[in-house]
Amino acid sequence: MTKAAELAKMGEVLTNSQIGGRRNIIINGAMQVAQRGTSSTDSGFGTVDRFSTSRGTVTATQSQETLASGDTPYSLGFRKYFRITNTGTTSATNSYIAIRHRIEAQNIAMSGWNYTSTSSDITISFWVRSSLAGTYYMSLRSDDGTAQNYTIPVVLSANTWTKIIKTVSGDSGISIDNDNGIGLDVIMWAHLGTDYTTSSHTSNQWNTYSGTDQAPDYSQNWNNTSSATFDYTGIQLEVGSQATPFEHRSFGEERNLCYRYYYRHASDGSNQNMLGVGYVDSSTSAVVQIVPPVSMRADPTAIETTGTASNYGVRQGSGVDVACNSTPSISGDSTSNVFVVNLSVASGLTANSACLGRAVLSGVHLSFTSEL
Amino acid sequence: MSYSVLHTEDNGVTLYKKIDDDGLSRMSCFGHHPPFQDWLRANKDNLPSDIQAKIDDGTLTIQEAD
Repeated sequence: MTKAAELAKMGEVLTNSQIGGRRNIIINGAMQVAQRGTSSTDSGFGTVDRFSTSRGTVTATQSQETLASGDTPYSLGFRKYFRITNTGTTSATNSYIAIRHRIEAQNIAMSGWNYTSTSSDITISFWVRSSLAGTYYMSLRSDDGTAQNYTIPVVLSANTWTKIIKTVSGDSGISIDNDNGIGLDVIMWAHLGTDYTTSSHTSNQWNTYSGTDQAPDYSQNWNNTSSATFDYTGIQLEVGSQATPFEHRSFGEERNLCYRYYYRHASDGSNQNMLGVGYVDSSTSAVVQIVPPVSMRADPTAIETTGTASNYGVRQGSGVDVACNSTPSISGDSTSNVFVVNLSVASGLTANSACLGRAVLSGVHLSFTSEL
Repeated sequence: MSYSVLHTEDNGVTLYKKIDDDGLSRMSCFGHHPPFQDWLRANKDNLPSDIQAKIDDGTLTIQEAD
């Protein structure tokens, strides 16, 4: 490239890109944080924070995996990736599976992308690998107003990490509210059955979303390939027409961003950790409050536990220590910045007094979700 | 995996619990919890009687899919 061309390119980058400050709108795009664990057969959220699986008529495992030093993304500073593994086979036309990341609407609305303008761009880049060669599709789907869908072809050779870069312009049909709901859904389809695709679907443009026309027909069938794997990492969505290098954020910073959507309040490995302070309101029940490290996106809608009631307990003064007889449940009094948890015991508490909620084994947790 | 009614609090809020295949309940939630709503939509023609009762009396609503 000549000096003049280099300068022209630099000018283009300066004009069209956000080169300073926070660039990546995706949270946990390097798949670092996995509060829920590293492997799960669940659909939805199960391992890597902010990334879920969406699937129908297929069984699969989702996992957080470690990159090998010989993998290309490793040399660029990535260490983790999200994997789905097919644990069954089906040729059902209503079968589908995807890795999904939902971006909060206000993070798009205030990103600087003039999403209703065809001359304003965002650029998505990511690393992807499949054990099955073929053309896959990513969907960008807006949620507010009349949902719009933009389909990006993802052409892969078998077992080869490939970097995909795509610049997408705005469209007058897109609507993004400035709120804490879903703004943009980034959906990487490993398979999408023909109930949801058409041979005439037009990729690389915004279309009004249709559940039966979400992408072109898939020529390969990942869901019907035993033990097929699909790997994904390094997802970056940024304003502008240039794909800049991935914005690596520290583990601590990324985890704090994840806490807005899911927070696992866990004992630190020692027994008899104190989960929170509270009060006893009868001989069989107590409530404790837990203050999360950051306010959540909205009031939590669920609490997760180990599933074993006796992992939890209530401690009062004078050495009274009582095991729970049902797993803790979330109270309707919970808010986005104070969680209220109900603890039940068979008997033995003194009403109208203070207490501590306890985790009686190492690794016991209470987890709160406010995911999109 | 299934769900059942856990209890209704003094403030009128009803809680539901997920029952995993091993019989353990590892999650309790409110009616608008998105995975619970996904399950309701997928099983709306064959819901457990206690869940169906909450729908019938208007306590619980099955929301449209996103």
